[in-house]
Amino acid sequence: MIEVVLNDRLGKKVRVKCNEDDTIGDLKKLVAAQTGTRLEKIRIQKWYNVYKDHITLKDYEIHDGMGLELYYN
Amino acid sequence: MANRTDPSAKSIHGTNPQNLVEKILRSKIYQNTYWKEQCFGLTAETLVDKAMELDHLGGTYGGNRKPTPFMCLVLKMLQIQPEKDIVVEFIKNEDYKYVRILGAFYMRITGTVTDVYQYLEPLYNDYRKLRQKSTEGRFALTHVDEVIDELLTKDYSCDIALPRLQKRLTLESSGVLEPRRSALEDDFEEEEEKEEEEPPALEPEKDYYRGRSPARERDRERKRDSKQYRDKDRDRDRDRDRDYDRERGRGRERDRDRDRDRDRERDRHRLRDEDYGRDREREGRDRERERDRRDRDRGRHRSPSRSRSRDRRDRERDRDRVRDGGDYRKRHSRSSVSPRRRPDDNHEEPKKKKEKKEKKSDGTDHPDPEIAEANRLRASLGLAPLRL
Repeated sequence: MIEVVLNDRLGKKVRVKCNEDDTIGDLKKLVAAQTGTRLEKIRIQKWYNVYKDHITLKDYEIHDGMGLELYYN
Repeated sequence: MANRTDPSAKSIHGTNPQNLVEKILRSKIYQNTYWKEQCFGLTAETLVDKAMELDHLGGTYGGNRKPTPFMCLVLKMLQIQPEKDIVVEFIKNEDYKYVRILGAFYMRITGTVTDVYQYLEPLYNDYRKLRQKSTEGRFALTHVDEVIDELLTKDYSCDIALPRLQKRLTLESSGVLEPRRSALEDDFEEEEEKEEEEPPALEPEKDYYRGRSPARERDRERKRDSKQYRDKDRDRDRDRDRDYDRERGRGRERDRDRDRDRDRERDRHRLRDEDYGRDREREGRDRERERDRRDRDRGRHRSPSRSRSRDRRDRERDRDRVRDGGDYRKRHSRSSVSPRRRPDDNHEEPKKKKEKKEKKSDGTDHPDPEIAEANRLRASLGLAPLRL
C-alpha cells in the first residue's frame, strides 16, 4: 500500500492510499471520489508527462509519498 | 467579439447560455480550428448546412482533449440561440440523423422538462446506427435510441453536464405529462395473452415481435442495414481469413498453413462448378463461426484451408460435438435436458459461503479506521482492497 499526494496548486491537496498495482484510472476514481470532480475531468501529470489511464502506478515508478500534479481537462 | 453570446439571447437555467458548457471545454472549443474556420458568423440557416455534414458525435478525445465538430456546433447553437421551432424542426427531420441528435442534445440542455420529454421520447423509436467518438479517439457503434436513453437517464453526456431532469413519475403524478405509451405496447399485450395460454419461455419470440414494430419504413431500413452488414462481413471474412492464415505466425503452423494455402489455391481451380457453388455458402457461414472460435481458443490447431469442403464440414461437426457436449444432447435428443451438474457442487457452495461470512474479503473491518474507510471506498468503486 502506498500513499500518493496530488496537488493542483490552487488549493486542492489530496492524499490517496492505493496499491502499487492499481492503474492510473483507478487512482483517478479515488481522487474523483475525494475531491468531487468528475473522473473524466481529471488529468494527472508529472511535469509534462501526462499519465495514461491503463498503466499501473508500479510501471510509472510512483512510490510512497510521491507528489503528483493534478490538472483538469 | 466572435465568442460573445448573441445580445438578444435569453438566459437559460439562470445563466448565460454558453456557460452551460464548462469553462475549460469552452476555451478548448474557442481555440479549435473547426470553430474558427467553419463556425464564424453562422446563422440558423447556415448552421443547418454544417449540421448536415456531421458524421459522428462525441465529446472530447485524445491526450489533449480535442473537441469534436459536434461539440463546436452545440456551442454555436448555444451562442446564437435559435428559435424553439427551428430546434423542433431539427428533431423532427427524418433524413439526417446527426441533425436530429444535435437538435435533441440542444433541447436537452436548454429546454424545459416537459419539452424535453415531449420531444425526445418519440426518438426512442428511431433505431438507426450512429458513430460515436470515444475519449481514446476510436469510433464506437451506437444507436439513436441508445443516445436518447442516455440523455434522458444520465446526467453527463459528451463531456457536458446535463441539467437536472425530474423523474417521469413525478411529472405523471402531478398531471403534467401522460404516462408513456411505448410503440411496442401492442406487441407486448399480444405476448401477455399468449403467455397465459402457453407457459414455456418466449425469449426467441420476443425478438421476432420486436421486428414487427408499427412503421414499415423502419423495418425496411433495418433489413437493408443488416443485409448490407452481413454481405460486407462475409466478403471481409473471406479476405481476412486468407490474410490471417498467412500473417499469424505460430512457428511450424505458419509453414504448414502456407503450404496448405498454396494447395487450396490450386485445388480451388480443380473443384467442379456444383461443388464450387455449395462451397461458398458453407465457407461464408463456417468462416464466420470459425473467426469467433479462433479468438476463443488460440492453442488449438486449426486447419481451415483444406480443399475439400466435405472434410471441413465433418470436422466442424466433430468440433461442435466435442465442444458443446451439453448442447449436442439438446440438439439431437427430443426431450429437454436439465443442465448437467457435478455432484460435488452442492457440497462446495455452502462451504464457500460460510467461509466468506467469517472473513470479509474486502477489508472493511480492519482495526485501523482509516484503512477500513479507504477499503470501504474502494469496495464501492469496485476496486480490490488495500494490500498492506
